[in-house]
Amino acid sequence: MNGNDFAVRLDGVTKRFGKHTAVSSLDLEVPRGVIYGLLGPNGSGKTTSIRMIMGILHPDEGSVSLFGADADETRRHRVGYLPEERGVYRKMKCLDLIVFLAEIRGIPRAEGRRRGTMWLERLGLPEWGDKKVEDLSKGMQQKIQFIGTVIHDPELLILDEPFSGLDPINQDVLEEIVLDFHAKGTTILFSTHLMDQAERLCERVCLISRSRKVLDADLKELKAQERKGLVAVEFEGPDRWLLGPEVESMEHANGTTLLRLRDGADHQAILRRGVEAGATIYRFDLVEPRLHEIFVRHVGASAAEEAGVPQDVIRGAGVMGGAR
Amino acid sequence: MSNVWAVIRREYLQRVRSKWFIFSTIAGPLFMIGVMVVPAMMATRSAEAERNIAVVDRTGVLYDRVAPRLEDAGYTVSRESWTSDVVPELTQEVTSDELGGFLVLDDETLATGRAVFYASSRPSPFRQLAIRSAVSRSALEKILDDHGMDSQSLMGGGELDVELLASGGAGEGDPRFVVAYVGAFFLYFMLLIYSVSVMRATLEEKTSRVVEVVISSMKPWHLMLGKILGVGAVGLTQMGVWLLSGGLAFSAGLPALVAARPELSSMESVSQYMPGVGLLLLFGGFFLFGFFMFSGLYAAVGAMCNTDEEAQQAQMPVTLLVVVPVLMLMPVIRSPGTTMSTGLSLFPFFSPILMFARVAGGGAPAWQVVLSFLLMALATVGVAWVAGRIYKVGILMAGKRPTLPELWRWVREA
Repeated sequence: MNGNDFAVRLDGVTKRFGKHTAVSSLDLEVPRGVIYGLLGPNGSGKTTSIRMIMGILHPDEGSVSLFGADADETRRHRVGYLPEERGVYRKMKCLDLIVFLAEIRGIPRAEGRRRGTMWLERLGLPEWGDKKVEDLSKGMQQKIQFIGTVIHDPELLILDEPFSGLDPINQDVLEEIVLDFHAKGTTILFSTHLMDQAERLCERVCLISRSRKVLDADLKELKAQERKGLVAVEFEGPDRWLLGPEVESMEHANGTTLLRLRDGADHQAILRRGVEAGATIYRFDLVEPRLHEIFVRHVGASAAEEAGVPQDVIRGAGVMGGAR
Repeated sequence: MSNVWAVIRREYLQRVRSKWFIFSTIAGPLFMIGVMVVPAMMATRSAEAERNIAVVDRTGVLYDRVAPRLEDAGYTVSRESWTSDVVPELTQEVTSDELGGFLVLDDETLATGRAVFYASSRPSPFRQLAIRSAVSRSALEKILDDHGMDSQSLMGGGELDVELLASGGAGEGDPRFVVAYVGAFFLYFMLLIYSVSVMRATLEEKTSRVVEVVISSMKPWHLMLGKILGVGAVGLTQMGVWLLSGGLAFSAGLPALVAARPELSSMESVSQYMPGVGLLLLFGGFFLFGFFMFSGLYAAVGAMCNTDEEAQQAQMPVTLLVVVPVLMLMPVIRSPGTTMSTGLSLFPFFSPILMFARVAGGGAPAWQVVLSFLLMALATVGVAWVAGRIYKVGILMAGKRPTLPELWRWVREA
């Protein structure tokens, strides 16, 4: 693929703040038309990377290009950006704000007004167009800002933690819109630490930890690779048969036991032992690992904790993933 | 440039529609008018009976001079000849409200201008002044005429032919002094209010994080330019409204008022304080250049700070540039020709206030005014260059306020 096939391309990008290196020689290639997840614990460099893509920060080393061209020329019309820290002109009327954001990206005012009205309706805020932004709840303000992000129908959407601060219903609405844009061929790059969303939406993920890229892969392939070696079991009766040379570790939660097998181990042997031991086995499942599992394995449990994910949730999520 | 236009438009409409703008635009002149006119109106507004006064002229020579003057001041005057019981009779009429009062003129009046006015209540100072001056001027006129003098010219204030040897300043009694002083102060207020609001807007944009979205769609320099032009247009609009309403009040309102209440005729003397069109244009020019310089600097201050408290401190050097000329205002108006005054008023950051004051006071040659505009234009370009660079780096920068060396690095590297 030549440079033109990538919506975003970072080449050996490094950014330092004083002595702290926020992003360290990061290479990133976001193919056109995909939904790309930028994952990583807090402080790993996600937002810094995104701000460099947006030209808000300038890399100390390396280069950024958008659609194979110099980034500065492209941003204004072709990119929609939702920053992590939301900001709106609080004193403006909602529709006026949306029209203004459209106007600075080259959309005529009348057209901006038309699109803005349409979006307000779509997000369930049709009667709020004439209200001042400060009169809206935080969640509604966020919707307004999201409209401002997509009002010029960008080819590339860059969303920094788009789901944080939204209730589950509005998270679903937003997800649906993201998928709509995807269907139209828009490239979507978003950062998140919510593995559920990433897993549902992303086709490709990049995992950053401690300012370095740890993993960059197609999500399906990644899961297939990691599939072997994870077994979910539900049973009644004796449990000593679970222990054997094949098993590396074991977790229990909600009546489900998750076995992690050693490389090349034969899961059939465990099943046979169970039957012989007289256990009643309801379920014996080779599970597809959840993104969360992969995340934790690659980043390490300590980093996951840094990300604010409690230990029991990490375990629970892994097991519940198997139960599906 | 269409996005600069979008920023100007947003900034302008947002501000002009705000309650604060509407309030200050309307309340400002109303307040000024209120302060000047209401007391005068209150003082002269009175019942018809009060306007009826009788004049008892014991000198026999003053009535014909006093009566027209009192009539000019809005009184209806009747003549009463002196008899021994005229005072009780007139007192009776005053107590029964048929008469507002009566004035007794005697020989002492002719000698010292002293007269007695009988009334049921003390007349307002305004009315007292009108009566007193009618009496004293009549007495003076009589005496001058008796001595064969030209009372008209002498009492009209005489005439002074001024031969200028060097450009002089305006004394405090000179209307030009008032125009220079008040105008320069007004300029100072407008400059400060509107340039500081550029700083506040920048700071607010930065702390509310809107700026990240806006900057991803346009150059920082364009945002700064749009902001300054938008706020400046608001200032011009406000002054335009004031100028228009003031001009209307002066050209239509004042004559109508004087026609309705002749006793207010002295207000026509306000006309000498009215600036001419040329001076108004200069005022506008000084405001614009001053605003461009100061708002650029204030925008840079806003961009390098993160909180109001930080900005309060960081704006000190810029605020000094605005305040210092005001402190120099008095001496510069009084002696505009000195090297000191010339030098200070040519310093671009001081020019808007000091050069305006010198022009309005009548003490600045044209070439110096032209030179000051050239220097201000240069300074504006310089400010735009430096402030634009600080703004560009600062607007997206979080964390602590930069030190001076850091600022210098921003300017060099941006």
